[in-house]
Amino acid sequence: MAAPTKAAVVLKAVKKIIVQFCPFESNVRSTREFLALVASEKARSTNLNCEVITTVKHDKSEPVVDVTFVDGERLLLKGAKLSRSEMLSAFQSYCAAKDPLGKAGAKK
Amino acid sequence: MAATLCGKLLPKQGWLPLIQSVRHGSKAVTRHRKPLHFLKQKLLAVTRYVPPKPVVPKGAYPAEKQQVQKDSDFVLILKRDLKKLFQECKMIAVVHNSNSTVEEMINLKYKLYKHGITVKFFPNQVMRSFLSDSVHSNMAPLIVGPTVLFVSKEPKAKEMLRTLRSSPQMTLLGACIDDTLLSAQGVVNYSKLPSVSVVQGELVSGLTMMTSHTASMLQRHPAHLSALLQQYVKQNSSEEAPKAEEAT
Repeated sequence: MAAPTKAAVVLKAVKKIIVQFCPFESNVRSTREFLALVASEKARSTNLNCEVITTVKHDKSEPVVDVTFVDGERLLLKGAKLSRSEMLSAFQSYCAAKDPLGKAGAKK
Repeated sequence: MAATLCGKLLPKQGWLPLIQSVRHGSKAVTRHRKPLHFLKQKLLAVTRYVPPKPVVPKGAYPAEKQQVQKDSDFVLILKRDLKKLFQECKMIAVVHNSNSTVEEMINLKYKLYKHGITVKFFPNQVMRSFLSDSVHSNMAPLIVGPTVLFVSKEPKAKEMLRTLRSSPQMTLLGACIDDTLLSAQGVVNYSKLPSVSVVQGELVSGLTMMTSHTASMLQRHPAHLSALLQQYVKQNSSEEAPKAEEAT
């Protein structure tokens, strides 16, 4: 799997991220790696108010990432058949769409 | 005009000009890549190495000999450590830490060491290959991504859970306690169990309840005991009488 692009994970427009997975399943790899990226110190330092909650289950359920944005919109990523880079790119496109003004201001 | 110019540049027929301007040429050793002389360029282009094309493309047939990669020495040392760990320690927990700063790790290590739990890091590949060879092969799917091992000789689940609750980014995935694989929920349940001595005491008391009851009854005053026995006989006879009536 390719490493993520140079753009770091910016969580400015995100309120809450809930990740739940069952570690004994084999389709959890991409979700776990996505979690590792999103909950890293660099990502969390962009927005200290954002909470990252991880739930470990054992009921053979699918791995799911539930993202709640600041304006109330919810994004559900079902990580069973997705790769980490796909999840990350989808998540980042949503973040960028929510917060284009902020990013443009920061770049300038 | 051409004659006068030719006269100046080539004083004698076929000879190089006496005055050559070297202002624009670069020296032999330059910091940038000096462009090769055209003749040299042509020579290199002509004499370039062209590797022979294989008759069969690379991935067409499977390899004749199975390439068995030998473990490097460092990997062997790590595997030896792991083996010792699994033999000695009763509790091995796998925790996923998505991020933790050095300070948090130090704090966590300190808190856990007070209860006798050590924090260990092992490379995932080594861990997986070791587990697939050993008995605990079902632990292999747990070891994906950034994982840390918490090992301890005594299974102290309650203290471990308490310490983990203080650090939000550590997620307990599962544990192998006394050669039994437990999930996160299983570890929580295990921690709620009373200790072995308490359970043994309860079992012993349950078994000896009847005998202790009898012993206490016999130790009482004999008059009391005879009164009780008479009462018991009366009750039995009264029960048997209606039963006999119902039967007939």
